[in-house]
Amino acid sequence: MPSEETKERIIKAVELGRTVLHYGWIPLIIYVGYTRSNPQPSLIKLISPLA
Amino acid sequence: MASSPPLLTPVEPPQLSPYPLQPTSSSPLASLYNRFASWRSSLGLSNPGTVENLTKEVKSTHLTNFFFDGARADLSKSLSVNPIFQVTHSFALGSQTSPPSYNFAAVFANDKVFLQGNVDHDGNVNGRLNQGWSQSNVSKVQGQLSSQVGHSMLQAEHDYLGQDYSVNVKAINPSPTDLTGIYIGSYLQSVTKNLALGFETLYQRPTPDMAESQTSYLAKYTGSDKNWIATAQLQPAGIVQATYWQKLSEKVEVAAELQLIAAPARRDAIATLGAKYDLRMSTFRAQLDSTGKVSALLEQRFAPAFSFMVSGEIDHFKNAAKVGVGVMIESPSMTPEEMGMMQMPVPPAP
Repeated sequence: MPSEETKERIIKAVELGRTVLHYGWIPLIIYVGYTRSNPQPSLIKLISPLA
Repeated sequence: MASSPPLLTPVEPPQLSPYPLQPTSSSPLASLYNRFASWRSSLGLSNPGTVENLTKEVKSTHLTNFFFDGARADLSKSLSVNPIFQVTHSFALGSQTSPPSYNFAAVFANDKVFLQGNVDHDGNVNGRLNQGWSQSNVSKVQGQLSSQVGHSMLQAEHDYLGQDYSVNVKAINPSPTDLTGIYIGSYLQSVTKNLALGFETLYQRPTPDMAESQTSYLAKYTGSDKNWIATAQLQPAGIVQATYWQKLSEKVEVAAELQLIAAPARRDAIATLGAKYDLRMSTFRAQLDSTGKVSALLEQRFAPAFSFMVSGEIDHFKNAAKVGVGVMIESPSMTPEEMGMMQMPVPPAP
C-alpha cells in the first residue's frame, strides 16, 4: 500500500491531468486534424460555423 | 520409409489453419494445445461480435437513440476526407426535456486512431479515444469532464476479438490510490455457427472496504443467412432483456425488444416494437411501445449536403405529445473546383 504522501501526490497528479484534458482535449483534436488533414483547411473555416 | 521425415503426413488438408505454436517443440502440452487449436479452427466458428454490440442492430432500428424534440440544427464541416476530420456546431432549442444548448464537436479518424470530442456552452467536455493496435486489439478511452465536482467520468476499456470469441475488460472511474471504481469483464464465445453464449461480470467497489460483484448471462442466436438475430440477457436481480431483429428486405428492418423486471420489490415489463425504412433519399423510423408511446422520425435528404428531420411522439397514456424539427447542413471545405466532378453531379443544362 502506498504511503499517505504518495497517495496525495497521485491524487494531485490525477487532478492536474483532468484539468489539462478538460481544456486541452478539443484543441488537441483540432491541432491534430488541422496538421494532418489533406488538403489543409484555412483556420477561419475551422472555427466559424458560417464560413 | 525409414528415411522419410516422421512428422510429415502426405494428405494434410490445406485449409487447416497454421499451428499457433511451432510443431517442432516437443513438449506434450504444446502438441495438445496445437491439436486443440486445430480442432477448434476446423469447427469454422466465426467471431460473435462484442458484448457491447450485442443489440447493435436493434438499437439502430429503434428510434429511442435518435429521437429528439424541439428544434435543432447541425452544421457540420468535413474538412478532410482521408484522414477524416470534421467539425460540427449543433444548436438545440425548445426541448421539453433539456434546456437550449450549443455544442461544438470535432472528430479526427484515420486507420488506427479515432479521436472525438465535444464541448457544450457550459464548458463540459466529452471525449473519446479509440486506438486500434492490430486487427483484433482495440483500446478505448472515453471521458466526461465537467467543472462541477463529481460529474466527471473516465472509462477505459480494451477489446480483444479472437477467432471465435470476444473479450472485453473495462474500468470506470478507477482510482489508482485505493482501487475503487467499477470494473466490468465480459466474454462471448461462439458455440455453434449460429449460437454464441457469454457472460458479463460487474465488480463494484464504491469504497475501499465495500465490494460487490454480479454476473449476467448473454446469448445471441444469429440466423444462418445473418438476416435475423435474437439475443437474451439475464441479470441476477431478475431483469431479463430479450430482443429480436430481422431484415425483411434491403430497405426494411424490424426489431422487437422485451424488458422484464421480476424483482421482489418491483415487477414490470416493457415491450417495444420498431421498424426502419431506408429509402433512397430518406430514412423513416417508427416505434410503438407498451407504455403507450407511438413515435416516428423521418430524415429526408434533399440535397447531398442538406437534410431535414421531423420527429413526433404521442404518449397515449399520459396524454402528452412531443414534436421536433431539425436541419443538418454539411458544408465541404473544398471549393467546387477542388471537388472536381467526383462529388457533385453537374446539373443538367436547361
